[in-house]
Amino acid sequence: MAETVTPDLLPAAAPVEEQQDKPESDLEPGFLVICWNDPVNLMDYVTHVFQVVFGWPKKKAEFHMLQVHEQGKSVLARESMEKAEHYVHQLQKYHLHATMERDE
Amino acid sequence: MRTARNQDKIVCQMGRRERDLFLELLALYPRGPTAQRKLSKNSVLPDAEAAQRMLEDALAEQRDQNRQLLQELMLDLARFKVQPTGLKLVLSQADTEWLLQVLNDIRIGSWVLLGSPEDPHTLEGLTEETVPNIWAMEMSGYFEMNLLRALTGD
Repeated sequence: MAETVTPDLLPAAAPVEEQQDKPESDLEPGFLVICWNDPVNLMDYVTHVFQVVFGWPKKKAEFHMLQVHEQGKSVLARESMEKAEHYVHQLQKYHLHATMERDE
Repeated sequence: MRTARNQDKIVCQMGRRERDLFLELLALYPRGPTAQRKLSKNSVLPDAEAAQRMLEDALAEQRDQNRQLLQELMLDLARFKVQPTGLKLVLSQADTEWLLQVLNDIRIGSWVLLGSPEDPHTLEGLTEETVPNIWAMEMSGYFEMNLLRALTGD
């Protein structure tokens, strides 16, 4: 989970001024796109869907698929509300159990 | 089922028995009730009701479109050639992605009709009512795996 929750948006080394210049929306809590485990979607299918929806390489898609399988869920992305909603729509169209949750 | 890549197309060849099973399976689409999925599990979202309705509308619309596309595919002899010896299916990458969704809809719908069991492979619930759903679930999984193999080249 840490891999996706720790975003590239706010690197630890980023200068303070840079953060202050960011639009307010970037500093607000975002929304997490989460995929939950279910006993019916095939593992290869889930990996494939992650690759298609997020454009991830197979290795990263497999990592998240295994996280879903073994830990019950995986945080796939942290996004604005609109983008998170878009991803959840895409994933649910593939019948994956995906939701968006506030990153609090 | 044998699959091969021919430039940007995926060619699936099925024998007669497989063809019959495949057609029988596709005839089940859409399978089960429209999924009642939540946009969010634990969070209260802004305009939650409208957002939830939008998701449900999008999923229902997709099912309608898929139903129509499936009918078109079956009538398109260039892509869907029913032969005396089986079936030759020529699909673009986009067709294949779409067919995967259709097959998975049948798989998930059958699982929902089974009562969404935690272990869908248990044979405890094998009855006259459950067998068609178990069959549809397993068969769609079989065809999905073949299409995935063709897409990924694994």
